[in-house]
Amino acid sequence: MAKGYNKLLRLTVLLVATLLLLSACGGEETVEKARESQEGREYTYPVVRLEGGDYGLPTPFLHYGRGPGGYKMALIFDSLLEYGEEGLIPWLAKDYQLSEDERSYRFTLREGDTWHDGKPVTAEDVKFSFEYFQEHPPVWNGVLLEGKPIVDSIEILEDDTLVFKLHEPTATSLEQIGRVRIIPKHIWEKVENPETYDEEEALIGSGPFQLTEYSSEHGTYEFTAFENYGGPKPGVEKIQFVPVSDSIMAFENRQVDMISINEDLLERYQENSEVEILEDPGFWGYRLVFNLEDQEVLQNKDVRRAIAYGIDADNLIDKVARGAATPGSPGYLPTDHIWYNERVGFYDYDSEKAKELLEGEEYSFTLLTGNDNREVRIGELLKLSLAEVGIDIEVESIDGKARDSALQEGNYEILLTGHGGWGSDGDSLRSRYRISGFHNEKIEDLGRAQLVEMDPEKRKEKIFALQEEIAKEVPMLPLFNTKGYRVYYRDGYDNWVYMFDHHNPIHSKLSFLEEIR
Amino acid sequence: MKPNRRKMKLSQYAVTILLILTLNFFLPRLMPGDPFTVLSADEGEVHTTYSEEDIQRYRAYYGLDRPLVHQYASYMIGILQGDLGYSIQFKQDVGTVIFNRLPWTLFLVGISVGLSALIGVFFGVISGYKKNTGIDQFLYSFFITLSEIPGFMIGLLLLFFFGAYLNLFPLSGGMTHFRDYASRGEQILDILHHSLLPITALTITGMGGFYLIARNTMVSIIDKPYMMMAKAKGLSRTRILFYHGLKNAFLPIVTRIFLSFGQAMGGALLVENVFNYPGIGRLMREAVTLRDYPLIQGVFIFMTLFVLSMNYLSDVIYKRLDPRVI
Repeated sequence: MAKGYNKLLRLTVLLVATLLLLSACGGEETVEKARESQEGREYTYPVVRLEGGDYGLPTPFLHYGRGPGGYKMALIFDSLLEYGEEGLIPWLAKDYQLSEDERSYRFTLREGDTWHDGKPVTAEDVKFSFEYFQEHPPVWNGVLLEGKPIVDSIEILEDDTLVFKLHEPTATSLEQIGRVRIIPKHIWEKVENPETYDEEEALIGSGPFQLTEYSSEHGTYEFTAFENYGGPKPGVEKIQFVPVSDSIMAFENRQVDMISINEDLLERYQENSEVEILEDPGFWGYRLVFNLEDQEVLQNKDVRRAIAYGIDADNLIDKVARGAATPGSPGYLPTDHIWYNERVGFYDYDSEKAKELLEGEEYSFTLLTGNDNREVRIGELLKLSLAEVGIDIEVESIDGKARDSALQEGNYEILLTGHGGWGSDGDSLRSRYRISGFHNEKIEDLGRAQLVEMDPEKRKEKIFALQEEIAKEVPMLPLFNTKGYRVYYRDGYDNWVYMFDHHNPIHSKLSFLEEIR
Repeated sequence: MKPNRRKMKLSQYAVTILLILTLNFFLPRLMPGDPFTVLSADEGEVHTTYSEEDIQRYRAYYGLDRPLVHQYASYMIGILQGDLGYSIQFKQDVGTVIFNRLPWTLFLVGISVGLSALIGVFFGVISGYKKNTGIDQFLYSFFITLSEIPGFMIGLLLLFFFGAYLNLFPLSGGMTHFRDYASRGEQILDILHHSLLPITALTITGMGGFYLIARNTMVSIIDKPYMMMAKAKGLSRTRILFYHGLKNAFLPIVTRIFLSFGQAMGGALLVENVFNYPGIGRLMREAVTLRDYPLIQGVFIFMTLFVLSMNYLSDVIYKRLDPRVI
């Protein structure tokens, strides 16, 4: 037996030695090393590393609808306008003008833009892109309004000037036209099935970055700055998205440059002088949807208002979001929105008022939530809170896709859903509040009026009024908008820019370009 | 095996496959939700909400607007032609998607099944030989405890300790990205370096089963006359145990190895998610959450065929090794 043990010992020593050898080799390069090796380049920063994940090949047709694939695609493909910190900013188009009859927009292109293959970007390319997308809608399909194209015709006036004639003057057309990706005609005119077109040419855009590496199975992307970019200079030479198992560990080991953290970790980083903390605007939120078509009781405005009074939003924020959220505005547009109307106010928790509105009646509903931990907790807290005013809630949790399908089919009584996009244009009120079983003429009229109002100031007033009307009716109830936190190292890449309507600076192209605020 | 028995066996396999293929088609479609309706997201995540027109267009593009029977027919015809369809999420052929991830999982599963068999059997034999002594009791409780801890939990512990705390191993992925390797050897070492923690996690969860089989067999044969004979001949203990003893435990161990592949595949599903490892396990989770019907079908067909062929192989090998079985 002694022999056997000797062998075992030798084997163990060998194994340990191999382990040590393996652990000595490989490993990620640190940011420091990368920086040294790149010194002397003209870019202010060599490599930014961020958490990866597979979101598809970043062409306008092949990125995934789920997740930030579209924002990766937008690094390669420019649009006429871009999302700045306070509103839309000129981009591939250096300026734009609305005609006097408000039926057309005239765009003038920026000079000096070329495609990544060296050919110049022309007005022809812009016109072609819109026409091509009409026949082959891309994943970000923005040129329709209620299923109809917003652009009637596009005319090229000079080499660098185009006129977009609108079907009808609508306030959202500028943003819709402005965000359409411009693709090179000389490549795509030959492509009949863009949904399967994954050749190298499919990735030729005119944006500030080019895709230099992508792996679907590893979820990695590498973008490299385009040297001849016609717009503001890229502030970083490479953006790398790498796989991460635990983002906190990856950040602490400096394998990624920025991560989002939850409220519990906030204190840890507040005490760390090497780290800077950013607070996201609350453009991601949860709301309760009432099934007004199916549940006759819920058609009664007082019952809906009673539910609103019976929910302690501050308690939800404390317990579920650990304080990192703002109460949802009953007028829908969140408090951080550029057109948020302060006069709307809130339904502060008031169980007496709720009971009064219910006139002593008791009701019971099933609340459908997703099976994510937070949603289940929200459900349970709502149950407790509403029980006090005489509303009995039974919480039912199902997986995300099943919940979405229930919402679509009207297969619920009250439903909890969470999503982003709360910072988008105020026109979202019109589509969001087109709820079957709910009819309010004033809201419908205001919704329509703001859409065709081309004067921004007058339109803002209408959207303010719309929020007030909606808040009185509460056809659905925003609960809270989360305020995420992000951390990055002070001595690392620090040019993070938020788009005016969005909660994540990693999705903003401006974050990777030199000072253009 | 007599020809008609073989025929019967094969037809049993054929019926099983047909049944599974059919279930595989209908089950995902019976789940609520569809690939294109995206109305909510995980906290902080973004998504594109498709308009009704877009959804109709996509459904037509992927053939999901046709009657279910037609879809089923073209699915079966596709499979017979080796065409698994086109993934809705990945926008690639399902075959390509699976094939790109397959080597990573097979690598993890293959090595960890081999290692857990070696380690489990080695200690099982020692334990059986030293039955009811302190060593046996210690090994017994040690292996039983280990095999009861789920793989992902072991993975997490390894990740925290060896990856984050000691910084000896990478925290995630299958290889170092965006790096030029000086040689093929360096690349292989890098891949091994990344795979070591997931393999260890899978190996630890698999060892218990092998340990028990080896121990039980050893206990049952240790007093047999041929073992006494070997001892009397003055052979070394190692030879007695690992040659004469193990030979008798060989059959159940081989069977166990083949059956373990299926189990280890299940384990890999969780472990790959812990380490963000680029294999089939993560793919399967994504396919189901996103209701990517062709991909769900493809992954499950692959798993089915894999497990069935392992069973078949173990049948065949068992018969080769043991002539008493017909």
